[in-house]
Amino acid sequence: MAVSAPVVGDAFASIVGGEHCITAAPALAAASIDGLTPRWLASPGSVDEVSRVMALATAEGLGVAPRGSGSTQSLGAPPARLDLILDLSRLTDVLDYVPADMVMTAQAGATLGILGRALDKHGQMLALDPCGGISRSVGGVLATNASGPRRFRYGTGRDLLLGARFVQADGTVTWGGSRVVKSVTGYDIPKLLTGSLGTLGVIVEATLRLHPVQPASGSWLFAFAAREAAGAFVAAILASSLEPDRIEWLNGPALGRAGLEPAPVAVAVSVASVAEAVASQGDLLGSMASRLGARVSTLADGLWTRLGDALAGAILVKVAGEIRRLPFWAGEIESAAAGLGLRPTLMGEAGDGILRAAIEGSVSPETWASGFVRPLREALAAEGGSLVVERAPLALKQACDVWGPVPDVAQEVMKRLKVEFDPRGTLNPGRFVGGL
Amino acid sequence: MALSSALLKQLENIVGSQGLVSSQEGRMVYEADMHTFYKGAPDVVVLPEITGQVAELVRFCRREHVALVPRGSGTGLIGGAMAPVGGVMVSLTRMNRILDLDLANRCATVQPGLINLWLSQATREHGYYFAPDPSSQMVSSIGGNASTNAGGPHCLKYGITVNHVLGLEVVTGAGEVLTVGGKAHDHPGYDLTGALVGGEGTLGLLTAITVRLLHVPAGVKTLLASFSAIDDASETVSAIVAAGIIPAALEMIDEIFVRAINEGVGAGYPKGAGAVLLIELDGPTAEIEAQAERIIRICRDHAALEVRVAQDEAERALLWKGRKEAAGAVGRMSPSWILQDAVVPRSRLPEIMREVQAIGARHRLVIANVFHAGDGNLHPMILYNDVEPDELERAKLANDELLRACLAMGGSVTGEHGVGLDKASSMPLQFAEADLGFMARFRRVFDPDGIMNPGKLLPSHPACGEGFKPFTPRIPAGTWV
Repeated sequence: MAVSAPVVGDAFASIVGGEHCITAAPALAAASIDGLTPRWLASPGSVDEVSRVMALATAEGLGVAPRGSGSTQSLGAPPARLDLILDLSRLTDVLDYVPADMVMTAQAGATLGILGRALDKHGQMLALDPCGGISRSVGGVLATNASGPRRFRYGTGRDLLLGARFVQADGTVTWGGSRVVKSVTGYDIPKLLTGSLGTLGVIVEATLRLHPVQPASGSWLFAFAAREAAGAFVAAILASSLEPDRIEWLNGPALGRAGLEPAPVAVAVSVASVAEAVASQGDLLGSMASRLGARVSTLADGLWTRLGDALAGAILVKVAGEIRRLPFWAGEIESAAAGLGLRPTLMGEAGDGILRAAIEGSVSPETWASGFVRPLREALAAEGGSLVVERAPLALKQACDVWGPVPDVAQEVMKRLKVEFDPRGTLNPGRFVGGL
Repeated sequence: MALSSALLKQLENIVGSQGLVSSQEGRMVYEADMHTFYKGAPDVVVLPEITGQVAELVRFCRREHVALVPRGSGTGLIGGAMAPVGGVMVSLTRMNRILDLDLANRCATVQPGLINLWLSQATREHGYYFAPDPSSQMVSSIGGNASTNAGGPHCLKYGITVNHVLGLEVVTGAGEVLTVGGKAHDHPGYDLTGALVGGEGTLGLLTAITVRLLHVPAGVKTLLASFSAIDDASETVSAIVAAGIIPAALEMIDEIFVRAINEGVGAGYPKGAGAVLLIELDGPTAEIEAQAERIIRICRDHAALEVRVAQDEAERALLWKGRKEAAGAVGRMSPSWILQDAVVPRSRLPEIMREVQAIGARHRLVIANVFHAGDGNLHPMILYNDVEPDELERAKLANDELLRACLAMGGSVTGEHGVGLDKASSMPLQFAEADLGFMARFRRVFDPDGIMNPGKLLPSHPACGEGFKPFTPRIPAGTWV
């Protein structure tokens, strides 16, 4: 490779244009992933350029990491190889938007903010609200299956991605899915791409289901003295006919970081509907919470967009388990962290059994793996749950498999998929589950 | 190709003598799904009771290079659960139990043969239900629903089957027992659950399905709006969606169906209406009251003749009974029909309905319409009488033109019925060669030997389109659209 490297670099430059093919050391160092610095950073300006870059990269046996806004490059195992960052940030067009269809097609590099500006005018929204929100690219959000509090009502990328254009490892431009809200024509390839971390193909265009912004909304914080009471409140909401759009769990440090009034634990809930239904559901929530001893306060709607900031920091883990066990897992994470002298900030989608913990403090890689990750994983495995280390310093990532184990047969099938569609291991080699 | 008695004996050893149908008359029962154009009896039907038997059956078919066709209740409309090249049909009707009802986690795990409606019946007393509601739900199985990614009127608000499937146990075409997803909502790795739903039995057999349960909504409001012209009804649908209201269901029923339903089901739809909209809102009471008011106003602004609100559960049930049994009711009016399931972007509804009428006029055929208007999923039924010399040919031409018109508007070949044998050859109208190539390779990952439901879903398979002459089609007793 070393011999032909300058030639390959020139070829990338000739495809995307010299000014869009970066080879300067400082810029490349800034784009490094888990300490590995790429040799080139290419920013194609069209799907055709993505295709040609991928074809060349695969022919040359390179390792390619696709990148949207770059906010989530921490996700995944350290790359086995990294030669090229395929930067999609120039592909930002909204290609098609007919408000009456409630469907939008946009290029992968468009940020949620760009989409939001187009949608706001028509009273519509894309109901994906991951941490980091509006600055993240739609392609990156889909490839990492990032989601936020609104998933309780609107689902995740798998529910909202109707169709996708993607570029296979060998450069073949491919379309899967449809441009309409309801279609079962052929295999649901968009589901396969969502959350695949770009390992089967690079999403370059997404057709997305939209939702109307409701005429009114209300948000409340229900603060509790203990996890058990907060858990009972969540269970009561889920067992009722209330239709909130967010049910978010926050522990004490999360409340502090979000600038909310201190409490041991709280549940933030929002409702969006017509004004009368917001008011009546708010009253019902209030009386349910009061019976469980909660202190109730109103939240500003703007809080939701910056709530994810509370999860900033060097270490972030995500735990997914049974919905009813979320309060239990919150306790387990807190006590496991406390036992190691670590401080966890916990937030999560209580109606979906999802928790994220930003962890502060210093810990050795061995202790991290054996005292935190492994025992939690082993306990979660009993209910089909998982713990993913979404962000951590390299040494901690290396000490534990960041994804955790996937059952044998499923791992074998996933491997066959990877080998089928990326036999040379061009796309994000080594970063996905089981080293795929 | 018949199976030798030695091979039949091997199959009997797997499923027992009670789990095997090999007589001529027994096999004929399984020769078609509800799309009776396509007939193909299997060489043998086996009815396993446990996952282990299903896995053994797949391994048997791999070893013997025999086609394997999975079947649920056989209510599909696509020529899916039938055996064009014979082989072994695996009927999952005996695997029909609820394995786990877990209300605290809002989910249930069921066997594939469980009837859709039984799950809601088992959970409704606790305040929960299973949202996907294909019109066949009183007889179709959840395994079949998941295999075809079935829709239904209420998927306008709640999404189609895949949005309600959390996990699967699947015996792949490679013979592995694959468990994916589960009660937790996120899992590391590829979303195999999402990608396997809608596989139409070409990737594997679903042996257990974990599905979401939803809480029964606080209130339900069902409205029936009648119009003198279908155009006004179409414009009303677009206006409701444009107003930011997503009803639970928004169904269009045209004049022909109104007449058939009134005569056949006695649902009491307004006589003489050119089209009616069946609109259902569910959710918090204050929300549906406000939305109903708004919708009534929109209907009136679009020249509605009458807007009726169901006064009680009995009236609501009757309105829905009319809708759900509409297709069967048309049997009273025409001996034969071709059914289309294409989709258009919802804003193009008025335009495509005018096109449907123009196509009918051009081919001198009656086209009746009852469909999921809110999400643009058409179900034009092209009526014809096969006693007339060229009516079938004209009906096929009209069907083809309809499909192409939908695709020209940016639509999709099938909204909820699936591809099966019926639409496999239409796939290239919507997908380029590279797209179909990707799907074919995806299929091979799960079915390396090509034994699973050959000829279905993708075109250009050697088994596809060869040797299937349409039989005289008749509307089967009780068909659901």
